[in-house]
Amino acid sequence: MAPVNLPRTDVVLIGLGAAGGLAVLPLARAGLKIVGLEAGGWFRSADHRPDEIRNNIRHWPHAVQKANQEIPTARNGRDGPPLPRPDYHPMMNGVGGTSLHYWGQSWRLMQWDFKVRSETIRRYGVSAIPPGCTVEDWPLSYEELEPYYDKVEYAIGVSGKAGNVQGNISRTGNVFESPRQREYPMPPLRAAGFADHMAEAASRLGWHPYSPPAAINSVPYDKRSACFYHGFCGSGGCPVNAKNSTAVSTIPQAIATGNLKIVPYAHVIAIESDAYGRVTGARYLSDKREYFQPASVVLLAGYTYENTRLLLLSKSKAYPRGLSNNHGQVGLHYMSHTRTGVVGLFSFDLNRWYGTPAQGTALDDWADDNFDHSEVEFIGGGNLLVPMEAKPIEAANMSTFGKAPRWGSSWKAFVRENAARWAPVWAQISTFPFEDRFLDLDPAVKDSLGYPVCRLTVGLKETEERAMRFMQEKAERWLREAGAIATNQLPLFPIGLSTHAYGGTRMGENPERNVVNGWGFSHEAPNLGILGASTMGTSGARNPTLTVQALAWRTADYLIRQWKFIAE
Amino acid sequence: MSALRFAGTTNAEVFTPNERHCLEAIVSRIIPADTNGPGAVEVGCALYIESALRDAYRSQKSAYSAGLAALDSRAIERTGKLFAALDINEQDRILSEFELNTRVGEYQDSAAFFELVRRHTLEGMFGDPLYGGNANFAGWDLIGYPGLRMYVTPELQRMDVAIHRLRLSAKQLMHGSR
Repeated sequence: MAPVNLPRTDVVLIGLGAAGGLAVLPLARAGLKIVGLEAGGWFRSADHRPDEIRNNIRHWPHAVQKANQEIPTARNGRDGPPLPRPDYHPMMNGVGGTSLHYWGQSWRLMQWDFKVRSETIRRYGVSAIPPGCTVEDWPLSYEELEPYYDKVEYAIGVSGKAGNVQGNISRTGNVFESPRQREYPMPPLRAAGFADHMAEAASRLGWHPYSPPAAINSVPYDKRSACFYHGFCGSGGCPVNAKNSTAVSTIPQAIATGNLKIVPYAHVIAIESDAYGRVTGARYLSDKREYFQPASVVLLAGYTYENTRLLLLSKSKAYPRGLSNNHGQVGLHYMSHTRTGVVGLFSFDLNRWYGTPAQGTALDDWADDNFDHSEVEFIGGGNLLVPMEAKPIEAANMSTFGKAPRWGSSWKAFVRENAARWAPVWAQISTFPFEDRFLDLDPAVKDSLGYPVCRLTVGLKETEERAMRFMQEKAERWLREAGAIATNQLPLFPIGLSTHAYGGTRMGENPERNVVNGWGFSHEAPNLGILGASTMGTSGARNPTLTVQALAWRTADYLIRQWKFIAE
Repeated sequence: MSALRFAGTTNAEVFTPNERHCLEAIVSRIIPADTNGPGAVEVGCALYIESALRDAYRSQKSAYSAGLAALDSRAIERTGKLFAALDINEQDRILSEFELNTRVGEYQDSAAFFELVRRHTLEGMFGDPLYGGNANFAGWDLIGYPGLRMYVTPELQRMDVAIHRLRLSAKQLMHGSR
C-alpha cells in the first residue's frame, strides 16, 4: 500500500529527545511550522514512581517499544569476535527521550575540547597524538558556542555555581571551567553530608572540588518545583517535574506557540531525497500504516546509533551508499566515554541513600589538559565524581572488598553492617576517534521490520587503558584521604554501547572527513540538519547533553537566519 | 500510559513442584534465615522470581529450567538425592562449584546460572515489595534502608542523622496511602 501523503510542513524533525526537544523551541518561536516525529509516547509525572526494579533493573520496559527492537551489536575490531549483546537499549523512546530519566548533569565542555589536535601538537608535539587517531579541531570554538550554552541553561534551568564568570575565578565553583558570561540561573543543588565530606578530603589533597551543574531545580524554576531529593533520580523520571527534561521545559513552550505538532509512536523508516540530492521528507509507520511527511527541511535528531543507521538505510539515486554518505563518512569517528571507578569502604555510615547523583562532588584537576601530560603517555583525562543516591538493591549488591563471600550467612552479616558504608568514585574520561572504530549496518541482525541494526566496531587503545588506570589511582587517593579502610577498583569500561555515544555524523569543515558542516547541516544534502552527539568530534570528560543542546540551538538559529538559502 | 502488569496477575505454573523446591533451596542458601533476620524464602524471593518469569523475565524461563535441572543432576550424581533434599553443607558445596564453574561438565553455564539466581534473589530481597518480595520490608531493614519518602529534608542528608524508617511501597507512596 502506498504511503499516505501528508500536507507539507516547513520542518520535519525526527526524535524529540534532549536535542530535538530543545531545537523545537527556537524554531517554533521563529514561526516555522514543525512536525515532530517521536517513536515513543508521552509520560506524565505520575508515571514516574520511585521503583528501582522497573527503572534501573528492567530499564523502563514500558518505554522502549522501538529501541529494544534495534539494540546495536558490537564486535571487537574488524575481524574480532562479537561482543555480548545486551537485552535492552541504553536509551529510550518517549517525548523528551532519555532526558526524562538522565542524571541531569549539565556540564559545558572546556575550551581545550574544541582544539584537542592543535593544542596537543602545540604543547607536546605531533607524536603525542596517538597512532590511528582521527581527532580534528572542531569547526567552532568554545567562545562561539558559549552564547548557546547560556541560552540552554536558562531555557531548561540548570543549577550550579560558576567557577569562571568572564575571567573572574571563584573557588566555590569549578576553577577549571572556561569563561561564562554570567552565573547559572539557579544555585547548586543542596549540600549533603557525604558530598561535603568528600569535598573536604579533596581540598586537603590540594585539589579543587565543586558541586556539579545539573538540569535539576535547586529552587522552584519556571513554575516547576524544586528537587525533592527522593533518591530515585538516576534512570528515574521525576514525579514532581524538577528534572528539566525537554518534555517539561522546552517542548511545552514550543507547543504553546501553535507551531509544533508532535506525532507520537511514529517509527521513521527512511528520509527521502530527490534526484538533486535534496531531502524531501520522512517516511514513517504509525499503527501499521505508512505515511510520508513532506518538508522543506529535515532535522534528524535521533540518538547517535539511530542517526547513523537511518542515514545508511535511506538510500536513493543521489545517495546510493546511504543519505549524505557519498564521501563514505557516515558511521566513522565513533566513540563513547571510556570510564572506570573505584569503590571505597568506610568504617562509618555515609548516608548516601537519598538525593540525586548530580548532587555529589566533582573534580577536574585531572581532566582535559589541566595537568602536564609530558610523563603520562596519553592525552586528555578524566572528571571524577562522587554521586549521592544509593538505591537499596544497588547498595546491597556491593563489593565485599575481599572481606566476605558473595552469599550465605556471612555475606548477609557483611551487607547488614556495610551496605551504608561504601561509595563509588566515577571517572569519566575523554575519548577520541580512531580510524578502526566505527558504526555500520549489521550484515545479519535485523529489527522486527527486517531492517539491519546498527553495528559497533570498537576496541580498547593503550592510551585509553593508561588514562583509566591513571584516574583509578587518583580516585583511590581521594577515597583513602576521606577515610576509606578498603578500596576496590571497578573494571575498565572501554568504548561500546553507551548513553554517551559520539560520532558517526561528525561535524567539520572538510567534507572528505566529516558529514555535517560547522552549523550542523549535511555537506551533501543542503536541507538536512543533524542534531545530537553524533556530530561531536571529541567527548570531553563529561556528560554530553548540555553540549548537544547548545549545538542544537545553534543549528536551529542558523536555519532560521538562513531559511531562504536552506529551504528554498 | 504505562500499562504495567504486576507480579502475580496470572496463575500459570512456571515451575514444576520439583523445580520450585530446588529454587527455594538455592535462594535460602544465598540469603539464609539466621540471627540477622528472615532469609530469601521467608521474604518471598522464590515467589518474586516465579512471577517475574511469568512476565518481565519470560525469556529467561529456559535458563532456569536448564540450570535447575543441572543442579539436581549434580546432586543426584553425588548423593542420589535431589538438591532440595541435601543437607545445607552439601548444598553449599554444589552451589560453590556452580558459582566458580569449577566442574565443567554436561552443563557449561553453571556460573552464569548462579549469577542469574543470585541477581534475582537480591532483587526479590531488596526490591520494592510491590513485586512480591521483600515481605514486611525485611530486606530494607536488613541493610538499614530508611524507606521511600517523596520529600527528603536537608537534615536527612547529613551523615550523622538517625532516620526514622518508613515502610511504604512505591505504589503506596504515589497514591498517598499508608
